[in-house]
Amino acid sequence: MFRSYEWMIALRFLKKGKGQTVLIVLGVAMGVAVQFFLSSLMSGLQTSLVDRTVGAAPHITVLPADSLPGYVSGAQKASSDNRKPIYSEKTEILSWQQYPEDLKKDGAIKSISPAVNGSGFIERGGVTVPVILKGVTDEGLKLYKIPGNIVSGKAELSGDSALFGKKIADRLSLSAGDKLNLKNDRGEQIFVQVNGVFDIGSEAGNGLVFLSLDRARSFLRVGGVSSIEVQVVDVFAADKLAKYYAKGNTRVKFESWQSKNRELLQALSAQSSSTNTILFFVIISISLGIASVLGIAAVQKQRQLGILKAMGTSNVSAAKIFIYQGFALGLLGSFLGVLAGLALGYMFVTFAGVNFGFDFSAGMIITPVILACLASTLASLIPARKAAGLSPIEVIRNG
Amino acid sequence: MADNIISAKNINKVYGAGNIKAQVLFDINLEIERNSFTALIGPSGSGKSTLLNCLALLDPPTSGSIVIDGKEQAGKDVNSLSKFRNDRIGFVFQFHYLLPEFTALENILIPYNIRHGKAPVNIVKEAERLMERIGILGEKNKYQGEMSGGQQQRVSIARALINKPALIFADEPTGNLDTETGGAVLSLMKEINAENNTTLVMVTHDRDIALQSDRVVELVNGRICRSINLKAAGVEGAEKQLENRSCYP
Repeated sequence: MFRSYEWMIALRFLKKGKGQTVLIVLGVAMGVAVQFFLSSLMSGLQTSLVDRTVGAAPHITVLPADSLPGYVSGAQKASSDNRKPIYSEKTEILSWQQYPEDLKKDGAIKSISPAVNGSGFIERGGVTVPVILKGVTDEGLKLYKIPGNIVSGKAELSGDSALFGKKIADRLSLSAGDKLNLKNDRGEQIFVQVNGVFDIGSEAGNGLVFLSLDRARSFLRVGGVSSIEVQVVDVFAADKLAKYYAKGNTRVKFESWQSKNRELLQALSAQSSSTNTILFFVIISISLGIASVLGIAAVQKQRQLGILKAMGTSNVSAAKIFIYQGFALGLLGSFLGVLAGLALGYMFVTFAGVNFGFDFSAGMIITPVILACLASTLASLIPARKAAGLSPIEVIRNG
Repeated sequence: MADNIISAKNINKVYGAGNIKAQVLFDINLEIERNSFTALIGPSGSGKSTLLNCLALLDPPTSGSIVIDGKEQAGKDVNSLSKFRNDRIGFVFQFHYLLPEFTALENILIPYNIRHGKAPVNIVKEAERLMERIGILGEKNKYQGEMSGGQQQRVSIARALINKPALIFADEPTGNLDTETGGAVLSLMKEINAENNTTLVMVTHDRDIALQSDRVVELVNGRICRSINLKAAGVEGAEKQLENRSCYP
């Protein structure tokens, strides 16, 4: 293709019609830049939102099935077997060790941590403040990204130590090294030492108090664990994975982060649709621009086409000259567009003071490039048809 | 028997459709001998350019037969005609019709490019040899706008020759040039015709130019008025015959 004379003529037409070429290339480049910039920005924003929502939280939570199975009603089917309740975990998972063992084998799962959840009270300065307690292992601390977000002290849970979220620590004026008493709802009291204060960015996260798993179990009188918290490699696959595991395990239930964040997901999906609508119209306007400028070029080059046809250029070749021009304009424009999009994104993130990144993948570069090349090639079909249909004699007879 | 490269029979050409029709050519029968130089003359509107375009397979006749090299060409599809023109026919037009986006050398190579793609070194050398023969080698990297009318017409002659065609059709090749340049271009075309064993068919309104050919065919009102063999009649004899206005209304 690139060695053909049609390609040679197409490129020369573009080179010699510099003004028009520059206009179209700029049009394509702007369209691609907007496309690339918007999709990268939206992706960055979504990644950041999702990361803030579930980055330091479980993606799938394994919970006890909180209802017993009913008896099968109806006299016909009633039998002694049906009256036997199927064993189920109700408020806690007793024989929990099997789940981490099973889940560990799945490559889609990043980390697994058993947890004990409950609440307690802290009395300080004459005020009683309720707190949410979470008993976790070291793995659990990592899941909540505590080690990297310690504001003071250290991220270690041993013996009587506890880690406090920044919100609760500020409220109680606590700092690393402070000692205090923690009460449960039965009025039992244990002594804890503040080993560290963390700030994981989210409101809910910073309201937590972490204890070691064993201490929480004895303090909250939990025989097994309250839940098993799981993080997966692909955040968006969590729902599918949860459903998959739910099928094989009826004694517990699997809750994905998506099922608890429907509104966020709807907002993200609405945002994606509006972005795609904008991008669709950007492509349409690029195509119309190219079609009209190349259409004018086809009229302007009638003389040249006529003489080429007189010398033996076939209708298909005449059409190819314009199709190749469209393709070349799309390719050059989209290349410049990606560069401009990158520059735009860099400037936006650097100067607009946003608190989310500019996230792009190879797909986000390739998609607008392919779309622009496709759109400009398709747009060139209109002048190409005109070129194919031109009769050399019209040009020769009319001078 | 004469070796005819073109044999046209009962050529009619009608423009327009419905009520607005104009017949330009009426039952033209014409044979062109191989390696000859034929001049088509006639007043404006006599149909000489239309006949040339029909014979050159640029404009299909409304009816009639055109046999070139023993093969019927009338009724062939557009793409077969394009290929045939590229293979066998060279064109020289009054307005040169060079592609302004290409240099002189590149313009000359275009018929080759259409046929084979990128020209190899030996073909570029051949184009340069043609340019040297025609006296425009110095202009090889110039664009249309940088050359005089005469130079442009020489480029278009070289372009017509690059695929070594059997036939060259020229429509008023000197019409846009001053007398001196026109004369030089004509001599060149005659020489080239003789050197390359091509058949030259030329439309001209200039009687002096026509008298330098082997045969003059005069058209009046879309009909062949007379055909004069210059070798047999001689220039003076031909001039005398051309004085006869019996075909004119």
